[in-house]
Amino acid sequence: MSEKIYAWLLRLYPSHFREAYGNEALQLFRDRARDEKGFVPSLRLWLDLLVDLAISVPQEYGYVQPALIGASALDRFDGVPTFYVLEGESPTLGALLFGGVLSLVALGTFWILLSHAGSYTGIGVMKSGQSQSDSGFSQQQAPRAEPQDAISATNRPDREVFKLDAAERQRVIDSAVAILKEHYIERDDAQKMADALLAHQKSGDDDAVTDGAAFAALLTRQMRDVSPDRHLTLDYSQAPLPQHPTGQTPEGLARYREAMNQQNCTFERVEILRHNIGYLKLNSFPDVSLCQPTAAAAMASLNRADAIILDLRDNRGGEPSMVALMAAYLFDHPEYLYNPRENTTERSWTHSPVPGSRLADKPVYLLTSARTYSGAEQFSYDLKMLKRATLVGETTGGGAHSGVWHRIDDHFGMGIPETKAINPFSKTDWAEIGVEPDVKVKAADALVTAEKLAQGKLQKK
Amino acid sequence: MPKRKLDPLPSSAFQILLALVGEDLHGYGIMRQVAEQTDGRMRLGPGTLYSSIQSLLEGKFIEELDLREDTKLGQERRRYYRLTSAGRKLARSEAERLADLLRVARAKKILRGDYV
Repeated sequence: MSEKIYAWLLRLYPSHFREAYGNEALQLFRDRARDEKGFVPSLRLWLDLLVDLAISVPQEYGYVQPALIGASALDRFDGVPTFYVLEGESPTLGALLFGGVLSLVALGTFWILLSHAGSYTGIGVMKSGQSQSDSGFSQQQAPRAEPQDAISATNRPDREVFKLDAAERQRVIDSAVAILKEHYIERDDAQKMADALLAHQKSGDDDAVTDGAAFAALLTRQMRDVSPDRHLTLDYSQAPLPQHPTGQTPEGLARYREAMNQQNCTFERVEILRHNIGYLKLNSFPDVSLCQPTAAAAMASLNRADAIILDLRDNRGGEPSMVALMAAYLFDHPEYLYNPRENTTERSWTHSPVPGSRLADKPVYLLTSARTYSGAEQFSYDLKMLKRATLVGETTGGGAHSGVWHRIDDHFGMGIPETKAINPFSKTDWAEIGVEPDVKVKAADALVTAEKLAQGKLQKK
Repeated sequence: MPKRKLDPLPSSAFQILLALVGEDLHGYGIMRQVAEQTDGRMRLGPGTLYSSIQSLLEGKFIEELDLREDTKLGQERRRYYRLTSAGRKLARSEAERLADLLRVARAKKILRGDYV
C-alpha cells in the first residue's frame, strides 16, 4: 500500500527524472521500508520522503537536460535568435492527435463565423421602433408608406410570393382599429377612422386586394380620407419586421459605435474650396454623445472660410440633437428648430452662440438631393424657414416618420403621431412632399451651382 | 533554466563522492553509507540522492556500471556507481577547501580542543 502511495507521489517529478530514476527511487523506498520496520522508523521514513519531495521536486523542474542546451548552443549563429526546448521528449501520438483535432475545430469555427456572420448593418438600424419623439429619425427600419398608390422600390413586394387572404386582411384591420383607438392623439378622429376602416371592409372595398403594399396604401388612404394626417401611416414590409427593436440591444449600439468610428461619424469631407469657401459633406446626423468632438472639429476647421457649403445630398437623417448641435453653429442667438416629432420645446432651441465659432454671420448653402432624408430634411427645412441658408439641389425625400411605430405582424405596422408640435413657419412640413430647394438644379450640379452663388455673393461684399 | 550545478559542491554530492571512495555502490548502498559516515545525520531521500547522482554523472565525476544483484538484498538487479578519477579529484579539492576553512576556524579559535 505504502509503496503504491510513494509510486503515486513519484509522478510529481518531471518525466525525464521519472524515466531515468523512477524505478531506482521505488527500489530505494522498498529497501528502506523493508529495513526500517516499526512505527517510529516508518514515521521517520515518511518524514524523510516528504522533506525530500519538497526539496527535490522544485529543483528538478528547474533543470534542463544538458543535451538540449548543447543542441541549441551548437545551432546558434550570429544574430540568429535561438530558443530552448523545454522537454526532451517528442510529443506523444495522443497529444498530436488532440492538437490536430483542436486545430481543425478552431479553423472550422473561424470559417463558419466568417461565412455566416451577420452582414454589416448600417447606422440606420439605430433605435427603430423606439418612440421617435425621443430618438428622432434615424433611417428607420419601419417601412415607409408611400403617398397614395405609389410603392417605393424598397417596399415593392414580390407579388408571386406573398398573397393576402381574408383572414390576414381581417387581422390587419382589427389591429389597426385597436392601435388607432389606443394611441391616436385626436380621440374623435381615431374613432372616425376606425369606423371608416371597418365600414370599407364591410362593404367589400378591400376584398380584391391581395397585394400587401397595395393593401397598406389603401388602408392609409381610407384613414386619411377621414383626417388628412400625413404622419399617420400603415406600412407593409416584404421582409419580416423584427420582433423587437434591434437597435436598442447592446450589440446594435456596439455596431453603431464601431460604424461611427470607422466612418469618422459620417463627416465625409471637410475642406476649403477655391475663393475660401468652406465645404463640409455630412452623411448623417450621428449620436451627439459619440460624435460631438468630431462635429466640433469639423465646424472649427470651417471658421476661416468666408462662406459655407454643407453637402447633405447623401444625408439620410439621424438624431435631432445633432441637428440642433450643427444648426447652433450658424446662429449668434438661440433659434427655435421645428421638429414635427417633438413637442418638447426645451430641446428644440439651439444653444447658440457656440463659443469659438465664427460661422454665425457667414452665408450658408445647403446641397440637397432626393436622397436627403428625415433629419437632414429637418435641418434643411428649418434653415430655409429661418432664412439662414440657401438650399441648392433637388426636392428632398419627404421622410418625416412621425410618432411611434407599432408592429402589427411580420409584414404590417403603423406609424402613429402621439404628439402634436405646432409648426411656427407653415401649415405643412416636409412629410411626403419633401423640402423644396431655393435653387432647383440636379443634385450632381448642386456643388458647382452653390460655389458660383457663394462666389457671387462674396464679390458683392 | 539553469543547468545542474556542482559549484559550489552541495554537501549531498560531496557525501556521495566520499561514499564511493572505497567501493562501488548502488543507490541504497550509497544512502546507507552516507548515513553511516555522518552518524545518521544525513539520510538522503530518493529525490535528492538521484538528483545528485545525475549531476555527478553529467560532470563525469562518477560512472554507471552494469546492472547486477546485491546478494544481501535479494534477487533484484541494481545499478551500481563508481567514482571516476575526476570525481576523486573533486572530492579531494572539496576536502582541501574544507580543511582550509578549518584552519581559519582554528586560527580564529572558535574550535575547542584539538580533536580535528
